[in-house]
Amino acid sequence: MAKAIELIDFSYTYPDGTCALEGITLSIEHGQKAALIGPNGAGKSTLLLAMAGFVKGTGKVLIDGLEINRKNIKKIRTRLGSCLENPDDQLFMPTLFDDVAFGPLNMGLEPDHVTKRVSDALQTVGLADMADKAPHHLSAGQKRAAAIATILSMSPTIITLDEPDGSLDPRNRSHLIQMLRSLPQTMVIATCNMNFAAALVERAVLIDSGRIVADGNAGSVMADLELMAAHGLEVPHQLK
Amino acid sequence: MHHAYIDKFAYQDSPIHRLDARMKLLLLIVFTAVVVALPRTSPAVLACYAVGPFAILVWAKIPLRFALKHILIISPFILVLALSCPLYDRTPVTVLFGPVTWHTSLGWMRCFTIFGKFVVTMLALIALVSTTRFNVLLAALHKLHLPRLLIIQLGFLYRYIFILIDRAQHILRARAGRKMRNLGFKTELKFAAAMLGSLLIRSIDNAENVNIAMRARGFDGNWRTVSKLKIRRADLLFAAAAACFLLTLHFFIRPALR
Repeated sequence: MAKAIELIDFSYTYPDGTCALEGITLSIEHGQKAALIGPNGAGKSTLLLAMAGFVKGTGKVLIDGLEINRKNIKKIRTRLGSCLENPDDQLFMPTLFDDVAFGPLNMGLEPDHVTKRVSDALQTVGLADMADKAPHHLSAGQKRAAAIATILSMSPTIITLDEPDGSLDPRNRSHLIQMLRSLPQTMVIATCNMNFAAALVERAVLIDSGRIVADGNAGSVMADLELMAAHGLEVPHQLK
Repeated sequence: MHHAYIDKFAYQDSPIHRLDARMKLLLLIVFTAVVVALPRTSPAVLACYAVGPFAILVWAKIPLRFALKHILIISPFILVLALSCPLYDRTPVTVLFGPVTWHTSLGWMRCFTIFGKFVVTMLALIALVSTTRFNVLLAALHKLHLPRLLIIQLGFLYRYIFILIDRAQHILRARAGRKMRNLGFKTELKFAAAMLGSLLIRSIDNAENVNIAMRARGFDGNWRTVSKLKIRRADLLFAAAAACFLLTLHFFIRPALR
């Protein structure tokens, strides 16, 4: 069976010459929840963009066995859902319903089917009664949940999330952890918050300066005090 | 974000709120055209026309203070135009307003007509915006075959204008926190330019991210939405009542008050 995500010797350099990712070889199994951890500017967000086909570098990126190229990109978009760091970028439509319906409509689904998917997705993230709300009327926690609903409505098998816990208070963060735990999809989460990562994932991939520094069981990678300190990170309190 | 949204009452529920947005939009266009096309007219006639939007605002439970406040905010622009009329047309004229006789000039009559028409049409516009959610209004524009690009632009404007205002306020606050003395016009101008530049760069960054979010969800340049608009009997009854109101004003009330 093909891996959910596979990168083979992937490198990417920004137009200004800064090397963002160098020789990344990584594979994520179906159903696995993995965290990309690392300091600011390590290349986590760029790696997520590469997985979704938004940055083109050298090497190969395969999603569910399909190589990212012009021919496969439509299929890949329906299998991999990307959730951006800022929910205000993810929620661009006048109402929550329109935002969550945007993906399914682009997949060519019939309006009745779209409505069903929207209500299911909003139900999953706990915003079932907010379909008619405008995104700017939502709280930070609701916006984050809504952003996840926009990709769940497309029924992807893989989800990538960029700093999903950003600007959330402890209660909303705890709700988000519970919700993400309940989702069956393969998940790749880029985060600087080690407590959040430790509560959610079974695998951790430590990235710094565009390279993979450590990759393994979340408990063992994140409990290594020396390794974490060397890359400006902290050991999560659950593992102390 | 705590902004004064122009459509904040559009989330209420009333028979007017439930009417089809296309019907309300078309009636607004007809009403505005009729009021604007009125020849120079007495305030009494304009007051009769104002009854329509006024009744809608009351029926939809929109506070009149809210409507008048918004008219007041926009009125300086139209007042400049209206107040220039008495300067170039001083032909004497006598106006009868019930038992009151008023000797004035044609310029002042024009001034009152322009301002009166503005108030009446603005009342109608506020009645529409306060009883119709912006997204529904966009769907109505789409159904009425307005250019798709314009509708998309309006949607983005409504979605991101508050974020932009918020950012500008944050920058101004950051500046106020560090400003200890008057810096002079030139420095203030430099600051304003830097602030605008910063807002522009962040907006471009935002636009790029929104583009990524759209493409990630399969956007291929074709804008697709689920339309929930439906013309019902209540919409037709409302349209008929509005037509009766305008025809009565045109054939009976206006000649009587002339």
